[in-house]
Amino acid sequence: MDEHSIKKSLLSTSADEKRLYRTRILKFRKSHTLYVLLLASLAILQFIAIAFFTRGFLLTRQVLDNVAVKDTEYGKFDKAVVLVVDALRFDFVIPVNENDPKFNSYYHNNLDFLYNSFWDQKSGSSLLLKFIADPPTTTLQRLKGLTTGSLPTFIDAGSNFDGSVIEEDNVIKQLYEQGKKIFFVGDDTWDNLFAPFLAPESEPFESLNVWDLDTVDNGVMSYFEKHLLGCEKGQRKEWDLLIGHMLGVDHVGHKYGPNHFTMREKLLQVNNFVKEIVSALDDDTLLVIMGDHGMDHTGNHGGDSKDELESVLFMYANTPGLFGNKEDSTTAYDIANLGEKYRQVNQIDLVPSISLLLGSPIPFNSLGWPIDEISNTEKERNLYSFLTLNQLSQYRNESHMVIQPERNDVLQQLWDDAMEDPSSGIRYQVEFLEICKDLWTRFDFWSINTGIILLSISLILLLDITKLIPSIVVSQMVPEFVPWIVMMSLVSNACFHGIFYVFRQPAFLEDTLWCSLLATSVGITVGCCIPILDRYSVKWIFIRFLEDLSDYWSRIGAMLLTIHALLFTSNSFTIWEDKIVSFLLITLGMLTLYEFVFLPRRHSTTALLTATISEKQGIASGASKGTANSDSLPLTRFARLLGVYHSVVLIVCTRIASTITICREEQGEFCIPSFTNKTNYSWWCLGLCLVIVGLLPACIKGYYNLSLSYQAAAPIWVDIFLKGLLFTNFIYWSVTALENTVADWSWNATIFKFTLARIIAGFALIASNIGWMMGPLCVKLNVHNTDTKSHQATILGYGNAYGAQYFLLVINAFMCIFLFNKPLAQISLYLMVNQLLSIIEIIDLLKLKENIVGPFALGLLAYLQFFTTGHQATIPSVQWDVGFILSGKITFPLTHLAVILNTFGPHIIVALSVALLTLWKQQPDVLKPQTLLGRIVSNCGMLLVYNTVLCLSSFIWVAYFRRHLMVWKIFCPRYLFAAMSLIAIQIVVTFGTIAFASGRLIRQINDIFWK
Amino acid sequence: MPVKKRRTVKKTVSFSDDNTFATKSSKKKHIDHDSPPVYVRKTISTIPAHLPALLFYYLYTTESYNTWKLLHLVIPLQVFYLVFQFNKAAVYGNKRLKINVTLVLLSLIAAFLLSLPTMLIIILFGAPSIQKLKETWLLSLHCCYLAYPVVYQVFNCDFKVGLWKRYFILIAVGAWSSCVVIPLDWDRDWQEWPIPIVVGAYLGAFFGYGFGSYI
Repeated sequence: MDEHSIKKSLLSTSADEKRLYRTRILKFRKSHTLYVLLLASLAILQFIAIAFFTRGFLLTRQVLDNVAVKDTEYGKFDKAVVLVVDALRFDFVIPVNENDPKFNSYYHNNLDFLYNSFWDQKSGSSLLLKFIADPPTTTLQRLKGLTTGSLPTFIDAGSNFDGSVIEEDNVIKQLYEQGKKIFFVGDDTWDNLFAPFLAPESEPFESLNVWDLDTVDNGVMSYFEKHLLGCEKGQRKEWDLLIGHMLGVDHVGHKYGPNHFTMREKLLQVNNFVKEIVSALDDDTLLVIMGDHGMDHTGNHGGDSKDELESVLFMYANTPGLFGNKEDSTTAYDIANLGEKYRQVNQIDLVPSISLLLGSPIPFNSLGWPIDEISNTEKERNLYSFLTLNQLSQYRNESHMVIQPERNDVLQQLWDDAMEDPSSGIRYQVEFLEICKDLWTRFDFWSINTGIILLSISLILLLDITKLIPSIVVSQMVPEFVPWIVMMSLVSNACFHGIFYVFRQPAFLEDTLWCSLLATSVGITVGCCIPILDRYSVKWIFIRFLEDLSDYWSRIGAMLLTIHALLFTSNSFTIWEDKIVSFLLITLGMLTLYEFVFLPRRHSTTALLTATISEKQGIASGASKGTANSDSLPLTRFARLLGVYHSVVLIVCTRIASTITICREEQGEFCIPSFTNKTNYSWWCLGLCLVIVGLLPACIKGYYNLSLSYQAAAPIWVDIFLKGLLFTNFIYWSVTALENTVADWSWNATIFKFTLARIIAGFALIASNIGWMMGPLCVKLNVHNTDTKSHQATILGYGNAYGAQYFLLVINAFMCIFLFNKPLAQISLYLMVNQLLSIIEIIDLLKLKENIVGPFALGLLAYLQFFTTGHQATIPSVQWDVGFILSGKITFPLTHLAVILNTFGPHIIVALSVALLTLWKQQPDVLKPQTLLGRIVSNCGMLLVYNTVLCLSSFIWVAYFRRHLMVWKIFCPRYLFAAMSLIAIQIVVTFGTIAFASGRLIRQINDIFWK
Repeated sequence: MPVKKRRTVKKTVSFSDDNTFATKSSKKKHIDHDSPPVYVRKTISTIPAHLPALLFYYLYTTESYNTWKLLHLVIPLQVFYLVFQFNKAAVYGNKRLKINVTLVLLSLIAAFLLSLPTMLIIILFGAPSIQKLKETWLLSLHCCYLAYPVVYQVFNCDFKVGLWKRYFILIAVGAWSSCVVIPLDWDRDWQEWPIPIVVGAYLGAFFGYGFGSYI
């Protein structure tokens, strides 16, 4: 299509009109920039609110830098070998009866050496215990706990990707200070944490590439071969402490889940390896084998379910009788029922135990108690108790933690008891640990309240600016908003900094960064309020708010939002949010279905209202009165039929999509996970993906054909780009599936897969968006050739010139997000395309383009699709493995991009397509550019309001439930997710939808079609 | 693609809806709503006392919430309710119609058949699709027989009167809102599918028959 020729033919040539046109576009550009700035400053306000809340809620633990010193002589071993088997769950190492319903030959009874050795104490002394981790069960946190003996806080979980050197006193540091040489091999998290203490001969391996099952393990084994197994027994070793950290079991879990044949291979491999180590051990060497955490039924970890917390601790020494086992050994070490009642110790108990056995001081911050079994005489036990008690009381005195007098008294009483009878010392430790746990879950209420208040203010401002004040007025007010905001931010920064510098008030801010954040947020608030209150009174705004909620569909929208926001009032509702969201979306579909079938009377009033508005607009823009008013006419029979069809599509697609779920652990027996590796890589799932390659373009074509806009650029985009990329994507995921399911797969497809993935991502992210910037029109001049005299031509697709072109951009986003989702999630995304377009068509048919129900429906859709693409609002369900689609190692930004696109894909798509509510089936010459932009901003604002309300509600309720049993498991991850999705939507809406796409599109279409 | 340049290209917009015949057809639809010759008298006699009684029986006297037994009881009681209470309050034009026995039986069959589409709708709303099909069907039977008096009236006035819609809607709203208790972790027997929905539908129906005429 030759754009310029059309432009020439359509634009009037008179100089006057050209000038008019030019000033209009100039005006539009200016107001567009101001709109973007206004929304960006509202976004900043929300980010600051989130930052304040997070600062107050996610606590940090006070870390003391003191280092313990040794004053007594003790210790049984000179050397030690420590082998960490990542994610070794307890039931993997104990015998399980094959008739047990929970028996699984892939992971039970394969690693049997540990238990056999424990049972047969003749050849040496050994000890096998259940090892309970503290949540969060991520490797970095566990390593910190295992070496410092202290408790983690929640915020640490987020920094699993970049651990930095540990500052606290810890076992490794203590041994290093004693002049011991520490050799390390395996997971490079150790290297990040303990680099200064490890010997230069250590060999860390890349740890987070979960698709690589063998590199780290083979590295560990060959390193042990070199430094331990290959040496003569009794020969002098170069090391005093040899640490190995194997990742194979963990990676099998992440990649395939425990229920997979590779798990057996891995466990057998570990079994043989342990046997070899034991046979090569010297007499003065202690062997410690442990898991850092377990894994849940999907093979992931991070939360605090029983399966994730239960791990293994095994100790071995050549000399028999070193460990004093419990007398009642059959009840203490009871393996019935997957070892449910087996004796367990806390992970932090390892630190004092190892320190005492190796003769190094117990680290200063340690809160653990030595394991009973490591001492075999009464005297020894009393010595150990005494040493540990001393260390604990030193920590208590130095940290000045226990302030409440009554708790202090209790502690003192226990201390006195322990001094008389050291065996009761453990009661002192338990009490002290409880107090510490209590103190470290103390919240900063000033910051929390500031966060909640700021977010509420931002919600009110968003509502005011994007909905309550008519968009026409806002477009006139925008030139006032931006200067006021900038000015007020500067003024309030100056004031706040002044007060903070002189009086150190408000005290909770602590440093200048937080001070300027608070000042900026106050500045933005005041800057927005001045122009608003200049024209409107608070009363007017309030009445306007009630008026806006007076029609049926707004109330439906408000009801959906209210229900969704109230889910966070109870843990059960939060757990079942996935089902409830789909229930709500289906309800909406049923309501629109009812509307189209019965056509209740409420239309007439809305239609009347729109008629008067668009009549004026039609005349102003030069369009004929009939065309401009066409959206005020009642629904035709065909339109009703179409509406029924779209409602049914929405309902059925939602219902089908809602069957795809990765269950939360808390949903228990009521949920059967359908999003597992097995189904993802099954032949039927890939078959469906192949069908989608053809079906998705066909569906989109169908929707385009409804408005005759499958013209010019649309076939290229849909039929060539989309189909091609979907097919390439299909090949990529089939190869992945084959790798996962075929046992003796030998071809190394890494390079091939990277090439494919990068081609898809590069094309979808960069090339196709540049293509879109060129302005692909979806219209065609239809000239009737038989009628040569007539001066008439029809523009096909004219009615949907905006929407059709805009949707191409959404297709770009879809192409990209498809790649980063697993096959079953791709099916869900296919359904999402249909749901999305059906919702937009329904909104258009019901003439609800400016109603809040449209953006709210899309907001619901985003959440539904978040759940049906195999996610839950929990940390273990983040699909880290997709991070390695584009690169083998963690590389900024490829890994991060992949995980973000995987997790927030549906939100990003919805944030982009919310503009379609306005643009779909919008004719070019009816609305002025500014009006159109104002309406887009209004709809975007409503989507933001939806997510802000959810975020605010989760803020309030997580703060309210801060002492709830489930807060770290249910409410806190949900609040983190709400905050992050709000941030994602803010960024996409402000910079993608409004700044980039809408401005460009409106300018271009007006260039061509405006008379 | 060659584009013919003309001075005055007239734009015509393709609109898939044909406006002319549509106005006619939708106008027709509204006539019946405005002043219905059929209405339900505002009288206390329409209050279905048997529904709360049945609910009481269902929730407190049966041990295991026997939904089948409840169905056996509700069908005859609903017929009685229609014949002796509801039909007497329904006014057609200016007179009350006598009960039409064939239609009573026919409506019984119709309500039974209606349970299939109702079941489909319930499944679409998110009920388990295969595992608990029998329970879902039982629930839809309950819903349909709760609506039975209205089904009779709809047949009686040839589907033309929109008045009866509210009764169906209220039953649906009752069932819809009672879903609230399902996800709660109270571990009660009555949270079992479909007990809360049955109760909700009964409450909706009670409200609908008792006070529907006042809305």
